Amino acid sequence: MRPDERKGVVAARRDQFPVGMRVLAVDDDPVCLKVLETLLLRCQYHVSTTNQAAIALKMLRENRDMFDLVISDVHMPDMDGFKLLELVGLEMDLPVIMLSVNGETKTVMKGITHGACDYLLKPVRIEELRNIWQHVVRRKFSTRDRANLDIYEECNKPSNADSDHAHGHVTCGSPDQSGRPSKKRKEYYSEEEDEGEEDNTQETDDPSAPKKPRVVWSVELHRKFVAAVNQLGIDKAVPKRILELMNVEKLTRENVASHLQKYRLYLKRLSAVASQQVSIVAALGGRDPFLHMGAFEGLQGYQAFTSSTSLSSFTPHGLINSPRNNPAAFGTQRVSASKSIQTVTGGHALNHSICDANKYHLSSPGNQQGNLGQGMATSLGQTQMQPKWIQEETDDLSTIFSGNGLANSGMSATLQGVTSSPLLPQELVECTQVKVGSQPSVLTPSVSSGHLEGTVGVSSSLLDPRVSQQTTIPLSEFSASGLPIHGLFNNSCATKLGATSSASTPVHPSDDLLVARDTKAGASSFGSTMLLPPDTEQKYLNFGGGNSFKHKFDERTADSLFDLKFVWSSGLSSQSASNIGAHHSISQRWNNSSSNNSNIGARMIGQPSSSASTVAPHAKSDFLISGDMLVPKNASDLSVPKLQSELSSSSCSFDGLLNSIIKVEKDDVSFSDDLGCSDFYSLGACI
Amino acid sequence: MEYSNLRRQTIFMKKNLFDQGFLDEQFNQLEELQDESSPNFVEEVVDLFFKDSSRLLTNIEQAIDKYPQDFYRLDSLVHQFKGSGSSIGALRVKNECSVFKAHCNDRSLEGCRRSFQKIKREHATLKQKLESYFQLLRQVGPREHAVSSRK
Repeated sequence: MRPDERKGVVAARRDQFPVGMRVLAVDDDPVCLKVLETLLLRCQYHVSTTNQAAIALKMLRENRDMFDLVISDVHMPDMDGFKLLELVGLEMDLPVIMLSVNGETKTVMKGITHGACDYLLKPVRIEELRNIWQHVVRRKFSTRDRANLDIYEECNKPSNADSDHAHGHVTCGSPDQSGRPSKKRKEYYSEEEDEGEEDNTQETDDPSAPKKPRVVWSVELHRKFVAAVNQLGIDKAVPKRILELMNVEKLTRENVASHLQKYRLYLKRLSAVASQQVSIVAALGGRDPFLHMGAFEGLQGYQAFTSSTSLSSFTPHGLINSPRNNPAAFGTQRVSASKSIQTVTGGHALNHSICDANKYHLSSPGNQQGNLGQGMATSLGQTQMQPKWIQEETDDLSTIFSGNGLANSGMSATLQGVTSSPLLPQELVECTQVKVGSQPSVLTPSVSSGHLEGTVGVSSSLLDPRVSQQTTIPLSEFSASGLPIHGLFNNSCATKLGATSSASTPVHPSDDLLVARDTKAGASSFGSTMLLPPDTEQKYLNFGGGNSFKHKFDERTADSLFDLKFVWSSGLSSQSASNIGAHHSISQRWNNSSSNNSNIGARMIGQPSSSASTVAPHAKSDFLISGDMLVPKNASDLSVPKLQSELSSSSCSFDGLLNSIIKVEKDDVSFSDDLGCSDFYSLGACI
Repeated sequence: MEYSNLRRQTIFMKKNLFDQGFLDEQFNQLEELQDESSPNFVEEVVDLFFKDSSRLLTNIEQAIDKYPQDFYRLDSLVHQFKGSGSSIGALRVKNECSVFKAHCNDRSLEGCRRSFQKIKREHATLKQKLESYFQLLRQVGPREHAVSSRK
């Protein structure tokens, strides 16, 4: 077919998926490439080819939306196929299929663990290629599904759910699975958590994974939980004892365990630099629906990326403006995380942190800290970015959310930062050393960095395990992330963090959003924000001008909140690739339903970044606030003021924060779920 | 008729190539990909293969001489060769590549050398046979070719 002819055909066929699906084929062998190209054309796909991985990456980075799927040879001279795979998965969250003559199990395994959707053996048969479109759909489905489900369930608002469901038609089905809002997410989390913190493999896009009876962490329940934890002491708070103290029927140790994880993450987040995350999230805005932190797994392998320098390539502005790029930044697992952060915060520091976090996550925690600190410092410099974001927030937010990936990391970072905030008990701060380590300085940039670290780490952890799936369910991610992070942090000080993390979970206003489906998550996210020093909070709160913020909320539908939440969630949920996906879907959803989600979100994002330490918390609160606002839709005014006041006054009272969060959560229940998942994801990924 | 004679010859020739193990199913796949929009697809691909493979063979030969102990490098080079070969259905060549790789695994330089010679021979033979085949096909005409490819 002649090129021009083909173009027309392609354009026309784009609507008849899988016909016209855009594939990028990469193979250094010209013979194989030609054959592959022809085979793909025969399947009626649109094909672009290159024999160099570097060119492929360039093409992908330039326009993330240019392709639906990537097929790459494993054995290439200029870049290892697995590496390309990871990069693409992380940055662009596109499905990647590996090709090779080598069909040894270990090699195939490597491909899968690096995030490949499929592994084909050469010579490739056309029958196999005829089915590759499934991977594209599956990825879309799972991200949307999760996001949608969460949001749908959380909000329990038909309007919300429906709007986004348009995107992910598939996802709409999920709510049916569990009548209760956030049930799905919780289930995911429950499942995830029960499997063990490190084991995030489940973040798969399998919305219909067997669900255990969900426990809804109501405000009351959470209060009891927090009381029990405080009574026992963060260090000694083990699920069993907590359970005993709480004395609640039908609550299992597993439920408590997962909730504890989230709480710990939450606490971490509180001390993390909220602002940075916000900025990152904002930056991540890129709305690449396919942004997934897919190659989470690859994260671990990605030591190389940890260097922030790579991140610096993503200027915040750039991020904002080109959501697509965000994912790229984010994509490279670690790098992306950092990148996104960078972009968002405009500071490389973030990236560093993220990178570090990742590194941390992957390697020795101790080392990370230092990096994070640096990263954080830089990220603090983001302040300037904010203005930009604000402008672009509308777009960015959506994009960011879609970009999730970064957001997630950002969020996670924030979360972590949160935990490290001075508000947290000393031990907490100490615990999160790797990430939190920097936090002791709390209000100082290091906190942010710590925060970032935390987040990043979390994300990385999330990413790493099994994120490859796109399943994003923000909540689950959160928990999932909590898991990994938890694991990470736990390394340093498990118990301590636990307290924090649990706290953080409540922050999610609506759980939906961020990670935890359960209110827990919502609250924690909120809480995180709250923990920010009062002054910073004010700053942020005012970012939106409190009033304006509220106003905005009023105008905007919950979407904006969502976005914010997403950002949050992203941070939190960045951990799992799925989150990103969900995030994306959520953001999409929100965007559809609401007017300017992004604006608000963007705003929030921008703001937080300004103040390093406090930023993190603020960012969160902002998000949360918005989250609340959005969700209730009418409560925005109320929520915002409430939050703000909470924030300002609650500088150190974690409980107070939690309470505020919880309150907010209630409103946001539906909100957080959706947003969190996909948006964060996309945010993170965007960057 | 001359034409059908030619056609029969091509069919026969192709059958031989398959029976003798020079080609495998992949070659059929290639032929099926050939259509009006790319009438000489198979020949083009095969040409591309021989051009690229000559280069690869030279590299392998040099590597054997210069870095005889670098089995990783040798394996890597042959891996590429094997990939191309399998893409066009060059069965014998592909199999011999596998043998070579096994020798690399065993770190047997002598085994590699021997195997490499075989690869070269198979490669040359295939090239010759396919050239004749395509020459004949050209005489027959593309349409005929499409028909005859259906085995």
